[in-house]
Amino acid sequence: MSSLQIWLHATLRGATPVAELMRSAWAWPTVESIHFIGLTLLFGTIAVWDLRLLGLLPRVAIADLHRLIPFAVLGFAINATSGSMFLMTEPDQYVYNPAFHFKFFLLAIAGLNVAVFYATIFRRLRSLPPGAVAPRMMKLFGAISLMCWIGVIVCGRLITFYRPGLCRSGEPLAFIIDCIPRISGR
Amino acid sequence: MFDPFFAWLESTSFSVWMRESPSIFSFPIILAVHTIGLGLLAGINVALDLRILGVAARVPLAEFGRLWPFLWFGLWMNVLSGLALLAAYPTKALTNPVFYVKLGLIAVAVALLRSIRRYQASGDQVPTASRRPSMKRVAVASILCWAGAIAAGRFLAYTYIRLMADSRPIPRPWIPWVPPGP
Repeated sequence: MSSLQIWLHATLRGATPVAELMRSAWAWPTVESIHFIGLTLLFGTIAVWDLRLLGLLPRVAIADLHRLIPFAVLGFAINATSGSMFLMTEPDQYVYNPAFHFKFFLLAIAGLNVAVFYATIFRRLRSLPPGAVAPRMMKLFGAISLMCWIGVIVCGRLITFYRPGLCRSGEPLAFIIDCIPRISGR
Repeated sequence: MFDPFFAWLESTSFSVWMRESPSIFSFPIILAVHTIGLGLLAGINVALDLRILGVAARVPLAEFGRLWPFLWFGLWMNVLSGLALLAAYPTKALTNPVFYVKLGLIAVAVALLRSIRRYQASGDQVPTASRRPSMKRVAVASILCWAGAIAAGRFLAYTYIRLMADSRPIPRPWIPWVPPGP
């Protein structure tokens, strides 16, 4: 367990109003539903975009299809918000969860991929007319993105199977003491 | 009434493997496949709905034809993974009214997909003014059905009445009748 994890756990636990809201009746399943609807919006629009980059829709102009991207961003925003709410309610279930670590690692790669894409070839691609020969690099960005998002979904679904035992994962005394009120409160 | 069937299904080796195998390739990965299938089927469907609603309107709808194999692949992924998940916990799913809500919404969404398919294939070649508003309504209905099916699917984990054929029913205050069972 690293000091980063302890700090993260403590920080997330500070968001008590969110945790209280999430512990009210039906709140958790409702936010989960929103998280899965966001997933669908994000993954669907990004899949279409990535398939374009992979060369599946060669006659579609990149600039025209890019109008779909704000909806992917909306899906991401929905999921970043709903996802944070889970973290703030049960931080130990995520901060000490290997599936969650891997999910975040893949999210970081996906983010880096997007950043490099926009910093490098996007401007050139945007000016291409429909059907024009595109740089082959484009496919690499599409492939990395698609694989990352599939991996994010898989890891997200696996989180529940890699849950650290409730409050048992902490070796440092501070973490255990932190958990006692929760155990006794149940 | 169906309890003997549920009990038999739950005793099959596949069902036991789904529930009890420590392998990540049983329940966990099949559940993950179900979610990727959801992303492909409902996700690409929603992207098409957005296009029908006027997003990225300069992309000719006819160009999206090559998305269908991915969408159908997602559908088959989910039919198969869904059947596997159902085989794992038949009582849990089939005694929960929410499961039928989910199936009903999926049935409507897939039915709408057929008219979306026809509209997409006709592309911008048939600019019949009268069809556009009705297709927009279809697109909105499609988005709402998928959102509802997803929410219903998620709520299955919290609303089931009996986990297995030999489980006692869990009283659910929102269910007006007393659920049958041992």
